[in-house]
Amino acid sequence: MAVTAKSLLRPRAHTEEEEDPTEHLLLDPRPRGEMNAMVMESMHTTSWKFWIVTMVLALIVAVCLFGAWGYMIANGLGVAGVTKPEYWGIFLVNTVFWIGISHAGTFVSALLRVLKVEFRRPFTRAAELMTTFGLVQAGLSIFMHLGRVWLSYWLFPYPNERGLWPNFHSPLMWDFMAINTYLLASTMYLFMPLIPDLAMARDRSTGWRKVFYRILSLGFRGTEGEWTHLKTAMNIFAFAILPVMFSVHTIVAWDFAMATRPGWSSTVFGPYFVVGALHSGLAAVVVVLFIISTTMKNMKYFIRPEHFDGIGKLMLMITMTWGYFFFNDYIVEWYGGESISRTLQKFLETGPLAWMWITMLVLNFVIPLAVLWNRRWRRTPWVMFGLGILINIGMWFERYIIIPDALTINRMPFTWRVYIPHVEIPLTIGTFALFILLYMLASRLIPLVPVWEVQEGQMAHTLRKFGKAKVATKAEIE
Amino acid sequence: MADTITLLALFQDVDPAADAIERLRKLGLDDGQMNVISGIPVLERVLGRPKRWTNVPRLALGGAGLGILLGLFLVYGTPILFAVHVGGQPLYPVPPGIIIVFEMGMLGLMAASFIGVFLDSYFPAYKPMEYIPAISDGKIAILFTCPQKDQARFVKAMQAEGAESVQPAERRPL
Repeated sequence: MAVTAKSLLRPRAHTEEEEDPTEHLLLDPRPRGEMNAMVMESMHTTSWKFWIVTMVLALIVAVCLFGAWGYMIANGLGVAGVTKPEYWGIFLVNTVFWIGISHAGTFVSALLRVLKVEFRRPFTRAAELMTTFGLVQAGLSIFMHLGRVWLSYWLFPYPNERGLWPNFHSPLMWDFMAINTYLLASTMYLFMPLIPDLAMARDRSTGWRKVFYRILSLGFRGTEGEWTHLKTAMNIFAFAILPVMFSVHTIVAWDFAMATRPGWSSTVFGPYFVVGALHSGLAAVVVVLFIISTTMKNMKYFIRPEHFDGIGKLMLMITMTWGYFFFNDYIVEWYGGESISRTLQKFLETGPLAWMWITMLVLNFVIPLAVLWNRRWRRTPWVMFGLGILINIGMWFERYIIIPDALTINRMPFTWRVYIPHVEIPLTIGTFALFILLYMLASRLIPLVPVWEVQEGQMAHTLRKFGKAKVATKAEIE
Repeated sequence: MADTITLLALFQDVDPAADAIERLRKLGLDDGQMNVISGIPVLERVLGRPKRWTNVPRLALGGAGLGILLGLFLVYGTPILFAVHVGGQPLYPVPPGIIIVFEMGMLGLMAASFIGVFLDSYFPAYKPMEYIPAISDGKIAILFTCPQKDQARFVKAMQAEGAESVQPAERRPL
């Protein structure tokens, strides 16, 4: 007897068939002139709300960042909560956090460029800007941590009056060299693909903007030679900046791992920090893209659900990798059974900041894993925005747990003390406000979408009939 | 020179521009007498043009070499000038040295690539140049020099290939 199997599930149409190809930016081309006009309009259209927010942020920066910093300089580092045994407090938490944020720009731009991932095209610059401004905050946090900031030049690699050079065997010196290399490289990497768009802005501006773009575009016209030199340099950068990116956060991890402290001396710290940086950085890219697409004119054309979907897939992969490294770090400490490590783990899991440890795991692993599997949620910008915020809170907590929380427990129990931040709190608020302020001001001056890259992608993509379906086809014209 | 003129032919698309370049060759111009200006990078093989020479990779390698030398000096040269003994480590340790040498090498590589773009492209170039803003709107311009007496023939040929406009190239402030 023949038996017909019936699915218990409701039959669903194949999602690929339902998809409209013009949902993809590269398959929905518009004339270049129109796209230029859209980007220029997005820079020029500024509502009163924008200026109100800008002024509020400027006020926060003035009071919380420069005011509090001035207070700390005048009264000494003693006004901060850092003292024995937590000499490294929120300043270092912020440094690691902002360096992490800065990783997204390079990762998104360079790695996806090397791999020729096409959906990167409209948002590489938005991510690269995050790199530069994130590193500015990281640098400021280090200067705050120095206390006597006016002596920061002692770090520079030149001899002092006694002919004594900085100690290049020190992880802190590696850090200085790596962060500066990364800051310089990422600024150059931001600027090079910007030149053609600055030339475009120059051709469409008047007054002070014309002068501004004229100076920055360096006389670029788009000759064969100019494009060849620019593309060659961009290719070199895309390959070279990736190992630098990995080295920076690895070296930041070594600031901790090179010390023989419980919880820090771990061989897995380098890649664990790199993955953590990518986790927070990609989440921050999603947050920025959501804000850009909802608040700036015409940006919905360039930033689409497909972009959130694409980044969401990367985030899913990074979430799982982060979970793997966290568990790796945890299980080795746990299994080793060293008394001080056990004590530290117990303190983190059940101590006064246990809520932070649990929240970190939920925000960094459980929620992203639950959300990012779902294609519909990945394609819903506000869901991704919310997730991006949560991941960044989770990653900030992670750095807090690794630095001041872990420093509480050491091999001298008579020094144990829970860290309580003081002036660090307004300074932290100040760095966040400065990051947003710089980004907002840059959004009025710098074309956030690399229009020439979008056009290049649109020229390479066409729809081709394949059987009964229309499929996207890409020509190798790069 | 008084007996030659530089013309700028503007095209909407890549295909007619590629055909126009071929036509210019047939009319007796060599590749050195023309240049293509575009709002996006167009591969030379797409337009049938010879590959452009660039010094950027060589400069990048040179920069990397200088960076490595600087890194070696910082790690292994400065202890000669003033010895700093770090707990239990040799004065010239290899593993920590690799880090500084790597960072300096990469910085040299990227800085030299960046400077290479400036040198090869003669940036910054603020003097008036042959250019029209329509290029950054996605048009492709062919800039070529032809004998003045043959101007009409060249203009006609470009129009036959689909040029939107063909006019004497004007130097304008960018």
